[in-house]
Amino acid sequence: MTEARSVSEAELHAYADGFLDEADRARVQSFLAENPEAAQMVSDWQDQNEELRAAFAGHERSKLSDIRLLSGGLARAGTRPSRRLALAAAAVLIFAAGALGGHYGPLLFEPADIRLTYAEILPREARTAFLVYASEVRHPVEVFANEETHLATWLGKRLSIANLKVPNLQGQGFKLVGGRLLPVGGKPGALFMYEDQGGQRLTVLVGRNKENRTTSFRFASANSVETFYWIDGELGYAVTGEISRDMLRRIAEECYRQFPS
Amino acid sequence: MSQNPDQSPSGTAREAQAPAPISFEAQILALLPTLRRYSRSLTRSDTESEDLLQDCVEKALLSRAQWRGSNFKSWAYRIMTNLHLNARRSIARRPSVGIEEAETVAAGTSADDPLEKNRLVQALETLPKEARAVLILVVVEGYAYQEVADMLDIPVGTVMSRLSRARQALREKMREENVIPLRRPR
Repeated sequence: MTEARSVSEAELHAYADGFLDEADRARVQSFLAENPEAAQMVSDWQDQNEELRAAFAGHERSKLSDIRLLSGGLARAGTRPSRRLALAAAAVLIFAAGALGGHYGPLLFEPADIRLTYAEILPREARTAFLVYASEVRHPVEVFANEETHLATWLGKRLSIANLKVPNLQGQGFKLVGGRLLPVGGKPGALFMYEDQGGQRLTVLVGRNKENRTTSFRFASANSVETFYWIDGELGYAVTGEISRDMLRRIAEECYRQFPS
Repeated sequence: MSQNPDQSPSGTAREAQAPAPISFEAQILALLPTLRRYSRSLTRSDTESEDLLQDCVEKALLSRAQWRGSNFKSWAYRIMTNLHLNARRSIARRPSVGIEEAETVAAGTSADDPLEKNRLVQALETLPKEARAVLILVVVEGYAYQEVADMLDIPVGTVMSRLSRARQALREKMREENVIPLRRPR
């Protein structure tokens, strides 16, 4: 019945590209079963598809020079962005980098290698800290939000960050719970905790590593815990929570904006 | 409706009510990673790819008034494709990234760049630009045939014939090359 209808080349392409609905797919399949040459051809196309996607996947990435690419373009195009726009753009860049980093994220939580780079340590420790502390009911932090100034001075001193400011995430619906000192990569680090009205918590981790020379933005997720982290010179930052990537993006944008660069 | 709400002076008041509409510049930035992938898949080297990306960003900024608020990604892809297809090979390319910028490039893996080894990608270099663009748009970028036709202003039949030509050519090339392993080892 249906097999009797011939199959066009366009349909073979659509089959290889996954554009056919179920009925058409079945029809093409039974055609291919009877036409080994065509079946070989379509199978070769599908191999090509996979190989091409794999070959270029690694090129989907952000570069820190992207902002310059844009501002250079703006200068040549004769338009001037306001600083606010540039900042917003910078923040969005983080998300862009993060979203694509998601492909590789799970790898970061694979069993430990012998020597880990700071970029690998940071998201692991951020995730662990979140899992350990965010579930604490009575003692989630060492210093509560009512002593915010003290918290900032204290942790700023331990991390050697002059004028460390605790990010304000009220605009995103998250109130500061407080913070604590904790080891990050074997050095003093800071953890700030926030929660929204529903009690949903997220953590912001800051660490320092003098040897660090690389700079990167990444997104990592394991189970339902999402971490977005970036390394900026000697300082590493990670935002972690069981929240949507969209929300995490907004939080990361905000933190990036507020932390000293 | 779609004209750049971020330019308005009432920005701050609007920001209080989440989430703010995203600015034109921010949309470009957010799109840069995928644009970079597309750019690299159309060109022969990282340098050519970054040049094309830079030209595309500049052109998009210049033509911002022409963006009608429809799909931004398709609009940007169209610009890049046209720039690439219309480019003369003889145009002298400017150096793309200064040495000081190279240090700040995100942790990448140029050493084990899959493109270095990939035979299929080498075969890609032998395709006509137009056929290659169609193949990449469909396979790597995931556009439907009709979307590609709309983006390039060509009939869908032309999309199909270019796709078909690209696939056949790659297949032949790969088959040809499968003979090569029979060469005597050095």
